[in-house]
Amino acid sequence: MTRIVRFLFAGLLTLALVNVVPLSADASEDSSVTRTKKVSRTFEIDGERVTVSENTVKVTVDHTKNLRGRERVQINWSGARPSGGRASSPFGERAMAQEYPVVILQCRGVDDESLPAAERLSQQTCWTSTSQQRFRSSSERLAIWRRDPYAAAAERTQKSGIDPFPTSGCDDAPSFSARAIGFIAASGKVFNSCSSDSMAPEAAVDAALPPAEQAAFTGTDGTGSTSFEVRTATENGSLGCSDQVACSIVVIPIEGVSCSEGDSVCQQSGRFAPGSSNFASEGVDAAVSPVYWWTESNWRNRISIPVSFGTAPNVCDVLDSRAPTAFYGSELISQAALQWAPAYCLNKKRFKFQHNRMSDEAAFTLMEKGEAPAALVSGRREQDLAQPVAFAPTAITSFAVTYVIDRPENAGEYEGLRLTPRLLAKLLTQSYTGSSYGAQHPGMGDNPRSINQDPEFRALNPGLDTIDREAAASLLSLSESSDVITSLTSYIANDAEASAFIAGKADKWGMVVNPSYAKLKLPVAEWPLLDTFVPKYELECQQQIKTPYFTQLAAPVSSLRTIAEAVLDGWPNVQTKCDRASSSDPYRFGRTDRQGVGARFLIGIASLGDAERLGLKTAGLRTSSNTWVVPTEKSMAAAISTSKPSASVPGLFEMTAKGLAKSPAAYPGTMIISTAARTSGVEPATAAKVAQFIKISTSEGQRRGSSNGTLPDGFLPIVNSGATKPLYAAAQKSAVLIAAQKGVPAQSALPGSGDTSTPSMQVITPADPDSQIQAGAKPGVTMVATQPTAANTSRIGRLTLPMLLVLCFTTAAAAPLLRRFARLRAAH
Amino acid sequence: MTTISNTLAGGRARTKSKVQAAPLQTEVAVLTDAMVVVSIVCGWLLLQLLVLGGLSYDRAQSIGYDQFRGELAAATAPVGGAIEVGAPVAIMSSNRLGDSQVVFEGTAPTQMLAGPGHRRDTVLPGQPGTAVLFGRASTYGAPFASLDSFLPGDKITTVTGQGKATFKVTDVRRAGDPQPQPLGQGEGRLTLVGAEGTGTLAGLSPSTVQYVDAELVSKSFEPGASRVSAVSVAEQPMGRDVGVLPLLSLALAGLAVLVAIAAVSRPRLGTARTWVILVAPVMALSWMATDLGMALLPNLL
Repeated sequence: MTRIVRFLFAGLLTLALVNVVPLSADASEDSSVTRTKKVSRTFEIDGERVTVSENTVKVTVDHTKNLRGRERVQINWSGARPSGGRASSPFGERAMAQEYPVVILQCRGVDDESLPAAERLSQQTCWTSTSQQRFRSSSERLAIWRRDPYAAAAERTQKSGIDPFPTSGCDDAPSFSARAIGFIAASGKVFNSCSSDSMAPEAAVDAALPPAEQAAFTGTDGTGSTSFEVRTATENGSLGCSDQVACSIVVIPIEGVSCSEGDSVCQQSGRFAPGSSNFASEGVDAAVSPVYWWTESNWRNRISIPVSFGTAPNVCDVLDSRAPTAFYGSELISQAALQWAPAYCLNKKRFKFQHNRMSDEAAFTLMEKGEAPAALVSGRREQDLAQPVAFAPTAITSFAVTYVIDRPENAGEYEGLRLTPRLLAKLLTQSYTGSSYGAQHPGMGDNPRSINQDPEFRALNPGLDTIDREAAASLLSLSESSDVITSLTSYIANDAEASAFIAGKADKWGMVVNPSYAKLKLPVAEWPLLDTFVPKYELECQQQIKTPYFTQLAAPVSSLRTIAEAVLDGWPNVQTKCDRASSSDPYRFGRTDRQGVGARFLIGIASLGDAERLGLKTAGLRTSSNTWVVPTEKSMAAAISTSKPSASVPGLFEMTAKGLAKSPAAYPGTMIISTAARTSGVEPATAAKVAQFIKISTSEGQRRGSSNGTLPDGFLPIVNSGATKPLYAAAQKSAVLIAAQKGVPAQSALPGSGDTSTPSMQVITPADPDSQIQAGAKPGVTMVATQPTAANTSRIGRLTLPMLLVLCFTTAAAAPLLRRFARLRAAH
Repeated sequence: MTTISNTLAGGRARTKSKVQAAPLQTEVAVLTDAMVVVSIVCGWLLLQLLVLGGLSYDRAQSIGYDQFRGELAAATAPVGGAIEVGAPVAIMSSNRLGDSQVVFEGTAPTQMLAGPGHRRDTVLPGQPGTAVLFGRASTYGAPFASLDSFLPGDKITTVTGQGKATFKVTDVRRAGDPQPQPLGQGEGRLTLVGAEGTGTLAGLSPSTVQYVDAELVSKSFEPGASRVSAVSVAEQPMGRDVGVLPLLSLALAGLAVLVAIAAVSRPRLGTARTWVILVAPVMALSWMATDLGMALLPNLL
């Protein structure tokens, strides 16, 4: 009897557990933090401290837990003093010429009096990218920090901040007053930071990453918002934030430096009206500018919000010495894999999972050949008849058209970009001419230079400028074969307008397709660069290299992450900047400069996971005549509802552009990423690992969250209910099939393509934009750098015939001579 | 055919006849005899490689042409898959290599005595992909002796079971030159692989591999069934094949037996009869031994 009860109890417990897991999955963790603080500025009048202005500022950071490198958090605030003299860029030193902004910094340490000093934050652990933000040197009259009533006596001496103050090496005159806020690196090393030479190495001019710290603008209603990028020890070793080292985001609403009695310089209250713009970087009243964020009177107004960082990406290499089991395939899943991998390698009962990015086609072939245990792919693949393969839906995400576009007149970033298939087709077919060089292209000289001049685009996205830009003439896309490109081009091909445009029909404003791409057959898995037009260049540099112009304009890259970071940095990959390192170096085409904040215009294809992580804006794509859909869980779920299971291949779900078009709420870029593995011929141990991965990733791995093992933003969870129910069931079935390894060859698999491979002696190196520019490149042809022909010589080949010849003649001549000689000697 | 009689008996006979005039030391006699034999062997090798090999090449081409013509007419010419080694697969003509050549399947040294060889792991000429043909530079008809006379723009045409394909030469490529551009979808290429020498005896000392790349300018054919995935070292440029050593030793042993027979039969049957009996087998065996020995030399020689 007790046994039966025990069984029942165990069964109930199991059921409860099974139910609890999906339940907790739905409760997504909310890590937003809101802090409120009264900030004030005081003047000393008649020996009394009088508060001249006071504001209650409420700051909200939307998520603060398990942040990853370069992730952006959304910061909103209200109740702050309205800013004036808005600078074009809120980042770094360029933002210094503003009045009453909100300074946002990332600092190492936490604001907690109970902690030891080394773990507390201070001005000296806050990162800035230039010395102008940490060091002031001025005449006595302008050195207002020396008259800050909140500052300690030691901070008010003529030279302060570094003890002893150096006599050389700082941008300072002996007679001036100076204060330096040295930077204490995570290693303990102190950087004086009183000149660009004494800054931490990550703050070098032309550093790899642009400044992240901001002096953001508050509107006239006292509210403001911005996206703030956090850096981990991987990006900024001196700052050194990680899952081990606690850090904070420090928000300082600049209220103005507090002043002692009768100091007119310090008591300035700004010369720009609230809400005004300072596009020309004119001088501002220093006392209310962000330059003095570090003065004690501003610093005491700070609101600090502790943030925590996710496990470092290399944790599996460091903490787990087992050999990894590598899954190859789609980059779309990389943000999920980043969070999933530690949940495997840190758990000794699981195998060590590793995701390696590879083109879907190549990954699938690798898996079929048995060189990889499983492939992560989306979309149908041509299959080898002899290899039965099962698919298990593992993640649902999408590609996203990400963008960064600034509105004119310093009005901030543009939101709600709307695109049509035809606009995407125009960008991809390089039908915008980009500049006067592109306008020389025969057959499309009258086309707009860039998309923001196109009447079709302007009608959908009003209020943008019409300045022509090379970056706005192309869509930053992938150079490799990918299912993302297949999906994108299927969407374009399924639209009547876009197809007609590519076929050669002008749109109603007279724009025609680039003749090089006319009648291009879509969809394709790899976007071809067909335009080889070389314009009449004007500069000597360009004339010497003579390279196809439109190829440099498009300059596709090999990874979606690169595109996402290019959009994040506002740094187009347009390769038209022609220069050379020194007069003795050859000329070369290189990447153009970063776009200045305020004039950014860049559109690129990225994965939704990256876009969410980096806080990028995603464009709405047109689904039916008047509906534009952005990628959200709802629109992806609508797309999943249109998917149909394949009759012949277990676990394969297919979404067609035609099917998607019937559902106006469905996001057309939605993609199902499946784990594909063979169901026969795989070693049992490996097959068990793949089955384990499918089971875990479709249960625990579908809980929303930011911690290890959970599903990040940008993915639609696959659960046993709703639109994803059939996918969940198929994944479980495929896991069983893969674990069993009893598959038989499929009857109706697609025929394998004929082997037309080139012989092994040809080695082809991948094309990157730089290597296309080589001296031997023929004009008009896109050349790819190939390896030099290897020398193959044969000594036997060289010597055989001459040796035979020499031997034949010498022996034939020598024998009679030798005899005669011998005979003559014998006769004597 | 005096050479043969010299090898076998003449040398000694002549020595004997002059012994009376002035006796020769035994050591000198052995040394000079050996030198004469070496000279004769080398001479024979040169004769067969450069002259007789040419004759056999011409004959093989003629037979191959007839056979391939028949196959074309009967539409049984091979178009892909695993083709029998030594079967004619294509006829190649260009204005730089003289008349047209029949191309045979396989690029091992012994497979290239009949004419240019088609590398077995490459597509047939005219199909999408790169077709690679090897040819000898100095011996056995030397079909690829003047490979370096190709100029960009020259036309090469091939006829295979799928029809006629036209190629345009892009360049002659030597060590250090960049390899040709990767082929796009449905593009084809023909690569001729030969060898060239340097110095005064350049024609007789082909030592460095050179390539002629030609792009397919006519429409490409349907791809054939998949070819073999890899070839042995012997079938790669300058490849040699030591697998013939057993056969070669048999042929050489046969020659030794014939010498022994000559030594026995001459005192009994007389020189003239021995000569008549043995000349044919000796020639046949030497011919065979030389053909087999070619496997030990590079396939592009």
